[in-house]
Amino acid sequence: MAELAMTPKPGLLARTAAFFRNLVAKRGALGHGYHGVLDAPANLWGWLQDRWEKMDLFDESHTERAKTNPWYAIGGMWYWVWMLVIGSGVLLMIFYIPDTNQAFGSIERIMENWKIGAFPIGSMARGLHKYGADAFIILATMRVYRIWFTGGYKGGHELSFMVALLILIIGMYSGLTGYLLIWNQRALWATKVMATFPTYLDKNPSWIPGGDFINATNQGKTTAQVLLGGTSIGPATVTRFYAFHFMLSFVLMIFFELRVYHRDFKRMNIGRWTKLIIFLIIIAVAIFIPAAQGSPANPEVTPNPILSDWYFLAMYQMLKLQDPYLATILTVGIPFIVIFALFMDRRPESKWGQRQIFNWIGIGGLIYFVLFSFLIINEIADIHRDPPLWYYSMGLFLLIGYFQDWAYVMKRDNKRWWETFHLFFVAFIAVSMLANTLYHYFGDIREHNVRAKGIVEQVMAAKNMTMDQAYGWLESNRPGLNLWHTNEVVTATGKPRGLELWRLHAAAWLGIAALGALVGLKRWGAKRDAQQDAETAKAKPKAAAPAPAAQA
Amino acid sequence: MNENTRRTFLKAATTIPIIGGAVLAMHSILRYFKPTMAGGLDALTAPPDTAPSPPQVAAELSDLQTPWACKDFIYVRSSVEYSSRKTQGAKIPGFVLRLPDEFVKDKSDPKSFYLIVQRICPHLGCTFNFVPDRDVLHGGYNYLAPQPFHPYFACPCHLSVYDPTHYQANESGVELRGKVVSGPAPRPPRFMDFDIKDGKIFITGTEGGGVG
Repeated sequence: MAELAMTPKPGLLARTAAFFRNLVAKRGALGHGYHGVLDAPANLWGWLQDRWEKMDLFDESHTERAKTNPWYAIGGMWYWVWMLVIGSGVLLMIFYIPDTNQAFGSIERIMENWKIGAFPIGSMARGLHKYGADAFIILATMRVYRIWFTGGYKGGHELSFMVALLILIIGMYSGLTGYLLIWNQRALWATKVMATFPTYLDKNPSWIPGGDFINATNQGKTTAQVLLGGTSIGPATVTRFYAFHFMLSFVLMIFFELRVYHRDFKRMNIGRWTKLIIFLIIIAVAIFIPAAQGSPANPEVTPNPILSDWYFLAMYQMLKLQDPYLATILTVGIPFIVIFALFMDRRPESKWGQRQIFNWIGIGGLIYFVLFSFLIINEIADIHRDPPLWYYSMGLFLLIGYFQDWAYVMKRDNKRWWETFHLFFVAFIAVSMLANTLYHYFGDIREHNVRAKGIVEQVMAAKNMTMDQAYGWLESNRPGLNLWHTNEVVTATGKPRGLELWRLHAAAWLGIAALGALVGLKRWGAKRDAQQDAETAKAKPKAAAPAPAAQA
Repeated sequence: MNENTRRTFLKAATTIPIIGGAVLAMHSILRYFKPTMAGGLDALTAPPDTAPSPPQVAAELSDLQTPWACKDFIYVRSSVEYSSRKTQGAKIPGFVLRLPDEFVKDKSDPKSFYLIVQRICPHLGCTFNFVPDRDVLHGGYNYLAPQPFHPYFACPCHLSVYDPTHYQANESGVELRGKVVSGPAPRPPRFMDFDIKDGKIFITGTEGGGVG
């Protein structure tokens, strides 16, 4: 007893050291990570080869399914639309002049002068090119969503999804380089924004490891100069964009045709009637809504409002809501975030009800795209009102998905609720939602806050005042509301409250993420060890088996 | 494994120069895409000319007598660029704003009555406007300005609004007029250096940066 009492309980320091020693130990989580990194190149190469074999460009492996299910004919449809766009593009190339002084006029001439009798060939060719490109982007988007919602990337088809996403991005970029060629106001300002935003890639904050080094390599500025062919949009930009516009389709087509040549499959799994109907639909749209031209580009006047082409509207709205550095990182990062989410989905189940988190990521993306576009087209977007709703709904979608998934896993594994609950994930989302919402409703960072708007409306109703009078009344009677974020107000009230809320949020967020990662790593290591022990236990009886035989 | 060590080593040793050669070849191909410019990468950030000749007139003082009078002008900043025209004059639109006396700090200096900014939005390069109307600012630029109202600069692209009566620091820590009061812009508009001579405002230089 005395000896037992003598052994002291290990202190906090010793226990922490033991914990880390255990982590680094060969069979701990870090040990597995270490071997994982060592074996990575060989595994990655094998993984890629496997996916390369299974890669699907035009839904060619769904040819039978496409006969009854139009969702699986999208691959053939987008290829057909692409061919139409290339064909009409070649026709347009004959008359188009890539020069800032003549581009707009040459398009006008294509639209008006190029006729056979009264039949407007030029207008039709341009309509086919423009609406065909729109159809391409719609179909490419639908294909990405089809693969996402049906879990089509499972069972080794990850590369198919990535290529589908790449086709969509290349399609959007072709659209952007294409509509500068018209040289109208929309084109000029869209190009200006698009070519300027990479410069924020050189503005990494120095607290990011290697941030200053990345800034010094001037990736953003180089990208901007390569795109523009100089420091500003000019004749060089038009010739460059003309080349890129053609080259993107051309290079992509070479790769696709090489694959078809090597594998020998049918490019379009649709019948000739379907092709004809698609062609006629686009032609009909081109006849009834001739492709618009807008007003000629004028670098000295930015019209108000100014909109991008429809598929960029949601991203355009996002640029208004964010700090430009963050917005740039997000814009560049969206495809990587999507691919990251894809690799988070490791379960073999691909049915709708069995992977709700990933469904909700898809639904959320779709909702944002449609909603942002709707708000901006109808001019009811409000950059002060929308961000909290946006952040809040992002967390909400993930939570809805998580709780549905949680219910599914509980039922599948016949477990109690706490055994399958991911506390850190839910805490992470909840803190994010709460802090973002509070920050946007009560933070006085830049302008009068959203909370004040409601109060102003109450005052207007109660005192029968105009909005100006209501604000005046509030300013004199409720100075604590801090209606206007001005230098004087900041000096008078000290630091803005919103900033502290934001810091608290970031700290809580990072803390929970770090804790969650640590606990997750530990559990993962333990699971791996248990698996290995089971395997060794299984292997041992076999090794021991010859012994009794020898005895006999 | 052991038999292959020498072969593996030799393979690796020959791969390195091959990869190096490929990188060099790629570099020259990629370099082809970069435009040939006098200033190189700095053309985007450094002002190419500090003292242009002849000095360009932005506005005449007789047009700027009333408070909040605002005149727009185009300043041509020439830079050598590869194009069919060999040089490209980058046209920079600007505003001259006559500030009301109550916002002028140093009334003994005639220059401090005028604010001259480049109209290129420091956010993403659109051309911003002078908005003297509160309703237009509210409806078109999503910013409900406080009373009493004074004019603002506002950009149609991403709805940044600049307050010419307040100061904010730029990247180098210089306090400039045109504090961002709404929207995503990271800093106030870029300034232009100027001189007043014979009742005219001459531009003598520009703050660098921005895709013009």
